[in-house]
Amino acid sequence: MSNRRFDNRVWRWLASVYEVCRREFSLVFHDEGVIIFFLVLCAVYPVMYSLVYNTEVARDVPVVVVDDDRSASTREFARALDATSELCVTHYVANMGEARRLMNEHACCAVLHFPAGYDRDLMRGEQATVEVFCDMGLVLRYKQVLTAVTGVQQDFNTRIQKEMLSVVPLSMPQNTISNEQVALGNTAMGLASAVLPAILVLVLQQSMLLGICMLHGGSRERRLVNRGNDPLEVPAGVIASILGKSLCYLMIYIVPTVYVLHFVPIFFDFPQNGRLLHVLLLSFPFLLATSFMGQALKVFVNDRESTFIAIVFTSVVFVFLSGISWPRYAMSALWLAVGNVVPSTWAVEAYIAIQSNGATLAQQSHAYLMLWVLCGVMFVFAYLVERFLCRRRYRRMRHYAKRDAQALLREEYRHQAVDITEDRPLDTP
Amino acid sequence: MKRGFVQLVRRPVFYIIMIVAPLLCSFFMLDLMRQGVVQRVPVGIVDLDGSSISRSIERNLGAMQNVSITHHYRGYQEAISAVQRDEVLGFIYLPAGLEHKALSGQDPTVSYYINYAYFTPASTQYKGFKTITLLANGAIAKTTLEATGLLTEGGVSAMLQPILTRVHGLNNPWTNYSFYLNLSFVPCLLALFILLMTSFSIGTELKYGTCREWIASAGGSIEFAVAGKLFPQTLIFTSTGWMIQLLMFRVYGLPLNGNVWNMIVAMPLLVLACQAFALTMMCITPNFRYGTTLSTLLGVMSFSFCGFSLPSDSMYAWVHALGNVMPVRYYFLLSIDQALNGIPLYYSRYYYAALVAFTLLPWCLLWRLKRECINPVYVP
Repeated sequence: MSNRRFDNRVWRWLASVYEVCRREFSLVFHDEGVIIFFLVLCAVYPVMYSLVYNTEVARDVPVVVVDDDRSASTREFARALDATSELCVTHYVANMGEARRLMNEHACCAVLHFPAGYDRDLMRGEQATVEVFCDMGLVLRYKQVLTAVTGVQQDFNTRIQKEMLSVVPLSMPQNTISNEQVALGNTAMGLASAVLPAILVLVLQQSMLLGICMLHGGSRERRLVNRGNDPLEVPAGVIASILGKSLCYLMIYIVPTVYVLHFVPIFFDFPQNGRLLHVLLLSFPFLLATSFMGQALKVFVNDRESTFIAIVFTSVVFVFLSGISWPRYAMSALWLAVGNVVPSTWAVEAYIAIQSNGATLAQQSHAYLMLWVLCGVMFVFAYLVERFLCRRRYRRMRHYAKRDAQALLREEYRHQAVDITEDRPLDTP
Repeated sequence: MKRGFVQLVRRPVFYIIMIVAPLLCSFFMLDLMRQGVVQRVPVGIVDLDGSSISRSIERNLGAMQNVSITHHYRGYQEAISAVQRDEVLGFIYLPAGLEHKALSGQDPTVSYYINYAYFTPASTQYKGFKTITLLANGAIAKTTLEATGLLTEGGVSAMLQPILTRVHGLNNPWTNYSFYLNLSFVPCLLALFILLMTSFSIGTELKYGTCREWIASAGGSIEFAVAGKLFPQTLIFTSTGWMIQLLMFRVYGLPLNGNVWNMIVAMPLLVLACQAFALTMMCITPNFRYGTTLSTLLGVMSFSFCGFSLPSDSMYAWVHALGNVMPVRYYFLLSIDQALNGIPLYYSRYYYAALVAFTLLPWCLLWRLKRECINPVYVP
């Protein structure tokens, strides 16, 4: 008998989870704003970001040459620089003053200076010097200048060494030890392939947070005009309500996840060394933790539009916490700890390892485990928020509304600091 | 104007968005990269030779600032797996027979494997590995050449490196990452807050249908209504902006090589330009949500398409063009000129002018907002 009663309760609980989930589906798909966040944002953002960075590197950075030597060898060096894909010699000028003026006018990004006596030193078998002055406004340009100049220098050195060795009777090999660089992960060594994997993960997280908060804002607005009750809410326990909603978000996110994490890298030729199965297994705890996090963060959102000001700027913070720009090992303990509680940090780390470096999920077990730990932590937060903040607020709202139907709206207007005159009807939102 | 002030005073969320959050975010960005240069990247070493040369390479690597050898691996597979586990960010591979081949002139190859999925530490590693291998190479060659007795010491270095290039990074010779990144990202964050706040506060009037009263309180003039509403925010944002500048240039020591006043004046111009930009978006789009969404979208995307990391002229032309319609791009360009490089104000004249032009832009479009305010339509 007691067993059957227990069974009944379990069934009823499961039914309420299902009901919450079904209602949430209908809420999502009847809300244009949420659809924009959940689906349109996921579809459009990655593409726009990829297009912005798709050129990957800077080419033909403008350079000015100041040639105080005016010899055949300086002209040859400058020509060789011009021929690289990185640089482009735009002007030859008489002195450093002129070069400086061009730089101030933003006509060039670097100045190449051959001091007088360059050719003479070279012919004497002494070391000749080339000075390069580079604007540091954009590090990527500096990197291109450095790469091109070093490359040309090494080519010239090798050739000159050969000539010297043919004169001097030496039997020395060119190189005693060669060296080679092998790029792992991002073999194009491009900016897009480095940054975009992190952005892709972040897009999923942020869009979900925005959507969840907007749904909550909508629900609260309905409560305001309905005496503290949300007519579209399904009566359910705290846990059932949280789980039901998360279930709904996870199901909706199946398509965006596969699209963003699997197909976008294919479209734009980003690293794609991971197996889809591992990516999907990884994204499950990630999205679950995110959905709980959204239900915890919703406490900061009172109406639909404050979603924007509460959530949007965190994207930038989360990107940097994930360590894609400034590496995590170099962060101070404080920021490391803050990063640890954001799901995207671990998801970005594991996703990059899987997708760029071809790791298996087993090799990223630490990040994976941390995501599950975060699921637990975020669930507790969401529970506390729903149970002790939101539901208490709703009770208070109903209590006030019982006494005066207009009290809630009046309070809301006062809170929004909207001045209302007495003869205005209070039914606008 | 009074209405704007009252609204500000009554809503605590406004303080958070206008003062606390921008300052906290700026502090976050600046403090995160306090060290400025990425150092001591954890790397591994695979030494299959175990000779005196391989050990000296290892010692030299260990003495470098760029990398720090945290792990030794027995083979390539083990090292690659460590990279996949994020244990190290790269490793150097010294093949068996390195010393023997080097001394007998058989040209062995030392390889270094760098995880370019993390771009910044990868560049640091590259610098470290490249320098060490070149040095090792040079040391052997130098000994060999000097042993012949044909060349003097100076002659040997000329032989090894006939042309020497010196690349000077102007005003940031350390390639300090914080100097470069925060000069653009911190103002861009502030700009994002301004865009959000402006569209939000105008949108609130539209949403609650109180815009008719709003305009009435300004004597029926949309110009006065907008100015009165936004001016208090301008003041607050400007002072927040100055505090951020103080944080950047004084506390965290970002380079300020030009006249201080040029940057101080630029801040209110940026605030006004961003407010005007958001206002223009609200005028162009038909309602609150589209206006806010558009401002937000552009505000967030401007971190990428304003050319803070990848130069604008290397992007597709339409992205470049899009970057040019964001006020913060001009603030970024002028802060490179005035803060980093400290060149005469004359050369940045167009950037200041652009910021002023942004401020003037919405005044031509306000009639649209007025029409909207008189017939408010709230789309949820």
